[in-house]
Amino acid sequence: MKILSFLSVLLLTCALAIGGANSIGQLPPLAFLLDPNHGFWQNSYSEDQLAEEMLSLENLQAPVEVIYDEQLIPHLYAENELDLYRAQGYITAKHRLWQMEFQTRAAAGRLAELVGPIALELDRMTRRKGLAYGAELGIDYLMKEDPETLALVEAYAEGVNQYIGQLTDARLPIEYKILNYKPEDWSAYKSLLLLKYMSDMLVGDRDLEYSNLKKILGKAKLDRLYPEFPKENDPVIERERIWEFQSLYPPKPDSLTYPEESLQLEALTQPIEGTGSNNWAVSGIKTKNGHPILANDPHLSLNLPSLWYSMQLSTPEHTVKGATLPGALGVISGFNQDIAWGVTNATKDTRDWYKITFQDASRKAYKYGQEWKTTEFRIEEIKVKGQETYLDTVVYTHYGPVVYDKTFKSDRQDLNFALRWIVHQGNSNEQKTFIQLNKAKNHRGYTEALMNYAAPAQNFVFASKTGDIAMRIQGKFPLKWKEQGKFFMDGADPRMEWQGYIPFEHNPNTLNPERGFVSSANQHPVDSTYPYYTFDHSYEHYRNRRLNSKLASMEQITVDDMKALQYDSYNLQAAESLPILLHLLTGNASSSEDAQKYLSELKAWDYFADPNKKGQTLYSIWFAETVESIWRELMDQGSPVVRPNNYQTIALMRDNPEDEVFDIHMAAGIQTAHYHVQVGFDSLLVAMKKWEMDEGDYEWANYKKTTIQHLIPNFKAFSVPDVYTGGGPGILNATGNRHGASWRMVVELGPTVKAFGIYPGGQSGNPGSRFYDNFIPIWASGDYVNFDLKKKEDQSGILFKTILN
Amino acid sequence: MKFLLFTLLCALLVVFLNLIAPFWVVMIAIASVATLVRPSGWAGFLGGGLGMGLAWLGQALLITLSTTSTLPDKMGILMGLGSGLAVFGLTTALGFILGGFSGLTGVLFRNLIQKKPSDVYLG
Repeated sequence: MKILSFLSVLLLTCALAIGGANSIGQLPPLAFLLDPNHGFWQNSYSEDQLAEEMLSLENLQAPVEVIYDEQLIPHLYAENELDLYRAQGYITAKHRLWQMEFQTRAAAGRLAELVGPIALELDRMTRRKGLAYGAELGIDYLMKEDPETLALVEAYAEGVNQYIGQLTDARLPIEYKILNYKPEDWSAYKSLLLLKYMSDMLVGDRDLEYSNLKKILGKAKLDRLYPEFPKENDPVIERERIWEFQSLYPPKPDSLTYPEESLQLEALTQPIEGTGSNNWAVSGIKTKNGHPILANDPHLSLNLPSLWYSMQLSTPEHTVKGATLPGALGVISGFNQDIAWGVTNATKDTRDWYKITFQDASRKAYKYGQEWKTTEFRIEEIKVKGQETYLDTVVYTHYGPVVYDKTFKSDRQDLNFALRWIVHQGNSNEQKTFIQLNKAKNHRGYTEALMNYAAPAQNFVFASKTGDIAMRIQGKFPLKWKEQGKFFMDGADPRMEWQGYIPFEHNPNTLNPERGFVSSANQHPVDSTYPYYTFDHSYEHYRNRRLNSKLASMEQITVDDMKALQYDSYNLQAAESLPILLHLLTGNASSSEDAQKYLSELKAWDYFADPNKKGQTLYSIWFAETVESIWRELMDQGSPVVRPNNYQTIALMRDNPEDEVFDIHMAAGIQTAHYHVQVGFDSLLVAMKKWEMDEGDYEWANYKKTTIQHLIPNFKAFSVPDVYTGGGPGILNATGNRHGASWRMVVELGPTVKAFGIYPGGQSGNPGSRFYDNFIPIWASGDYVNFDLKKKEDQSGILFKTILN
Repeated sequence: MKFLLFTLLCALLVVFLNLIAPFWVVMIAIASVATLVRPSGWAGFLGGGLGMGLAWLGQALLITLSTTSTLPDKMGILMGLGSGLAVFGLTTALGFILGGFSGLTGVLFRNLIQKKPSDVYLG
């Protein structure tokens, strides 16, 4: 009897212990999680409460001093670069380990390992795009061509790994505790993979949609609705620029045939509209103090932990400060004692698709001219939590991986398309660019640093203490004949090959232009006189014009003026289109009380998308519904297509409201722009009725609900919803619902560099820390924190110090 | 007396041993202490439970008061419990159950190995 009761209680106790230590279904291991000594409670401490005076970091040649300012921004003082990057890896991991690991897992197509079959399709897509393949080639390249950079990247990895090695259960980031897994070792490969992942985030193509559009609309109508240059082109490089080099522009081959099918594929994910950025620099002749001022605000998904992590990195030779990407070396957007630089995405179609004709079902060879070329097979082993490993065979051609085939996202058995993308080229060295930029002293150093940079193409703005301002659109751009790569191409026709690459020296650039400023906002890089084919679907048409008109008119510019411009919420698209909408609606508006109220609010609106403006809410719904109505018939053709951009749609409404594009063929009678504007307005009334009933207030901030979301969307408690701030897509302060200014920086390059920065997050990656989201209110109200360079001796405003030894 | 002593010992185990060892080591230790201290069955359960449960509660409270972190509330929402208060409750309850069953296991084990005294003069 005693044995029985003992055994049953023992069994129960063991079951409790085992149950508490393991996850059951979706539940985390509860006893591990709730144990106050090791579980999530330990993540309640902020970093200053855990401050250590001394930490051990092996293989340093000399001690590295880390001084945290009151915002938890670490300032690293090392004696040489190897020590510096080793310490950067260690300190970054200390504050952002989970995030850097999670992002590289996503980039490697390894999410199913953590979350199970739900992520399998996403992982397959990531791998089929060949990001990991590109990163492997990148490592090979560094091994052969640039062992110096490789040594630095490896030192960084060792720093991260030493931190992982010292990590106790108590200090483990909370996401690991909840999801019940442990960090893996970091490696140089992962740092490169992260940079490839940035390409994936920022680069899109619309070849699929344009191929379908050409079939649906015909070439002439396509060109009319989707012109390659807008009427009022205000490009990145000023229109006055004269191109003095001998162009290598290849002629378009005669009688090309394109794959003719209507393409029923599921399009790749595209960078979300509103993803973009601003940067500019004004020359000393336009500023009050006579020094150049540079500003940069990259717009990305608003996430927590923030994509950016601020640091100052110092050796006796240089001191650089700004925003780093956890996982990558150096500062990505920042400044040093001599220069400042910033980045915006330089979209240009660098991703093309080729139809592959296989010899037979074995897919071992494909047609190329008169011959058959052999393929290579890459087997992707995708581990899936709770299931067997999934093996995905990806066929590689000389163009690149066959992303779409009979096993993946294609309705038809015989469709195979290979992806050609700069990311698959080994001979690029983005990491070196940033390491060199961090140390650059002048325009020459900046230009030399950029020579190593291939993708994702960026507009690199530059300003120096010596008074230079510059802009260079840097990336590796394929040399294309006119319209090459706008549509899916036939991979069997060698004439469809990229014709080489545009020489680095021919990339658009400008130095000290007469207008006294340089700027970019993801618009067309150049005007039509640039002697190379330039095309992308997603060019910006509003932020650039607002920015340039402001910069052109401003004199005696101060740092505060530049801050205000980053926060500028003037909606140029609304200013240009609302009068047209109102005009087209005249006489057709409902006479209801609500309709009249909205109309008078719209008419009284000053076009500023401030958080308390109701006009912006009403306009954004009305315009979106109108555009939806205009292009609904086109979008409903059954195959993926893309709408003409807002700029063209507005131009059509303004110039040709009776144009046949407004007519709905399926409906009786003839429709014009008036009809769609009225449909849009009626939809606005319906939407507002629902909104006012459910939510009440429709001030802009309350309507757009800017949310800074944790990288795992399910972890809602770790997100910050409903941030009260203005702006929106197409506006200089591009903060929408989930996207916006992910980092703002303004730097004045006087004798002493003055700098300000802010991002919507905090220095800590730990949701329990007081530094997790403390920047958000500052960011939301358009304020900044001080980012001046800090000398080692400067003892003011220190949170705590740590010596790495 | 034994009950109080045992409860206190269990709480001390959590405070010192749990600092360096995971919860299941503490469970084994509580069971071992129960075999040595020999509380009665119920006292073993209750003492182990209160010792570990209250120690966990105390530690959680101490951390939260000294950090003023909002993490318990965030975890409450994340775990579908609604509030930080519920997370404190769950932590205490879990500590109680783990400690209690460990204590009871120890007591029952002791009963099992303890030979019936056969040479006692009952006269």
